[in-house]
Amino acid sequence: MISFYDVTLRDGNHAMRHSLTPEFVREYCQIAELSGVWAVEVGHGNGIGASSFLVGKAKSDDRSLLTAARDNLKKVKLAIHAIPGFATVKRDIIPAIKAGVDIFRIGTHVTEVSTAQKHIEYLSGEDKTVHGVLMMSHAIDLKGLVSQAKLLVDYGASAVVLMDSAGNYVPKDVALRVNALKKEIGVQVGFHAHNNLGVGVSNAISAIENDATIIDGSSMGLGAGAGNASLESIIVNYRRTDSTAPSLDKFLEMSYLVETRFPEYLPRTTSSSIQSGDAGVFSGFAPQVRQIATEFGLSQEDLWQEMGKRRLVAGQESMIREIAQDLMNL
Amino acid sequence: MSNAKIKVAVIGTGNIGTDLCERLLKDSKFEVKAFVGRRPTSSGLMRMRGRVPNLLEAGVEALESLWHEIDGVFDATSASAHPQHWSIAQRHKKWIIDLTPSRIGKPLVPVLIDKTPKMRISMDHVANYSMVTCGGQSSAAIIYAITKNAKLVEEVEISSSIASLSAGPATRENIDEYIDSTENMAMLLTGCSAVKSILVLNPVDPPVMMRTTVHVRAANFNLARIIHESRDLVAKVKNYVPGYDLVVEPYVAGSGQISATVKVLGSGYYLPQYSGNLDIINAAAVETAKQHVHFSHLSRERIAT
Repeated sequence: MISFYDVTLRDGNHAMRHSLTPEFVREYCQIAELSGVWAVEVGHGNGIGASSFLVGKAKSDDRSLLTAARDNLKKVKLAIHAIPGFATVKRDIIPAIKAGVDIFRIGTHVTEVSTAQKHIEYLSGEDKTVHGVLMMSHAIDLKGLVSQAKLLVDYGASAVVLMDSAGNYVPKDVALRVNALKKEIGVQVGFHAHNNLGVGVSNAISAIENDATIIDGSSMGLGAGAGNASLESIIVNYRRTDSTAPSLDKFLEMSYLVETRFPEYLPRTTSSSIQSGDAGVFSGFAPQVRQIATEFGLSQEDLWQEMGKRRLVAGQESMIREIAQDLMNL
Repeated sequence: MSNAKIKVAVIGTGNIGTDLCERLLKDSKFEVKAFVGRRPTSSGLMRMRGRVPNLLEAGVEALESLWHEIDGVFDATSASAHPQHWSIAQRHKKWIIDLTPSRIGKPLVPVLIDKTPKMRISMDHVANYSMVTCGGQSSAAIIYAITKNAKLVEEVEISSSIASLSAGPATRENIDEYIDSTENMAMLLTGCSAVKSILVLNPVDPPVMMRTTVHVRAANFNLARIIHESRDLVAKVKNYVPGYDLVVEPYVAGSGQISATVKVLGSGYYLPQYSGNLDIINAAAVETAKQHVHFSHLSRERIAT
């Protein structure tokens, strides 16, 4: 049994430059409620509490987005993403509990799990469903990945989700990593694809074939950089192997809603996304790279390449300008 | 200021305390009377053998017979141990400089001492100064330069990225407190209540140098003055943090938005150079002690005449 986890209203908010409104959340959730997805994640692209000059100001605050979702989700669970260093327990997580969130995903860069200890322990102490997320999960060896995942479980996470934040994986990488986690940790494993190389859906299918049980996707793939794996494509694939899979109707309805409402935000795989994915750079940098490349008259490719060399992590958006300055001075 | 050396004790023999001790030993204005730890096997204590006269391994209690020889102490232990150290220091009428995130002391950023009443040195010899956070120390000069030359400040944001290797277990465990404490400093300094602080750890090898970016939104600002004042203050910070640099000068980042970035390269006394985040706290602590002794000495002279 696969739990399909819809990130359209969170990762998609990256693609929408964080312009998501409660009105759209309401409209989308009304369809999602009938679709057969397990959970809908809502918030700023970098999670609750992340609205900022650094990574982008959200048009609507967390509270109004979560309330709009809560009012329209009954069977389907309401989920959030939170990154320690951006979100704090007091300022962001406790209000999210009060807003009625069901699933709390706490995410860190794949090597920095210890920054999430207090947040996970707090939520697990409050008897909330808390999952650990390993962002940029390609940026570590297998042994390191397993030991970081084990820490998440020790803190109290009831699932570990691998995020391919840079869109760096091909299906065999996903198989290797999901398998290693399934073997070594006693909790559910989830997978979150990005489509930089054009293999997002194939990667999600690979995760399912290797017994990952939480699968992320978004309608029309709406998400950071080249977008996520499109949920409707994952479902249509999965239906060929499992007769109990949700029917396609509502997924197509959600995808049509996104496609017609936000034609300007629809992500795609481009030469630049293939380059950044292959170099393993965080997809969410794309809007800043576009803007700064234009401002400085640099090619996006040169910027991505240098960012790849310096191995930036999510949250270092302000380094892009410094790198552009350095490239101009070379 | 008299030429007598400032006689101090350093409590806490971890990485921060050891670096601080090295720094004080190389500064002709200071005499380190005691280095205080809890374990005889502490590598910090062993390192200072023959260099600091009193190496104490039984905690602050062991300082009891030495209080009359020292002017003040640096507390590099933990937020939970600090209240006790502060109360002992008060009993002996000594100043204390708090490098822990306890937030008990008065937040102080040395470069701003004579700039704003919010950061004034105490006229009493007995005082407690908090070194805030690395994000607070590295951003304060820029926040001040921008907001002083702006009208109707609406929002202030501080985001720092540091090398993973420079973030010890305490920093990781207290990341929420770090954010709170940095935001409080920004609120105190600007009077603006819409403040946000962000901390990002980067594990890359070789390690990254600390960067802090300040964003301010205001109704009006004078960019030329902001740039001028930032350069001036950065030069002043450099007097006590030589590795402090303005890498992105203040620029208009959007409508009503100013942004600037500084970089902090550590001095490498004991901590590696990529630990600019820890270096700036220690450098600020040493500078604060000098300023405190100088000003409280002046005020005693005034009272005497």
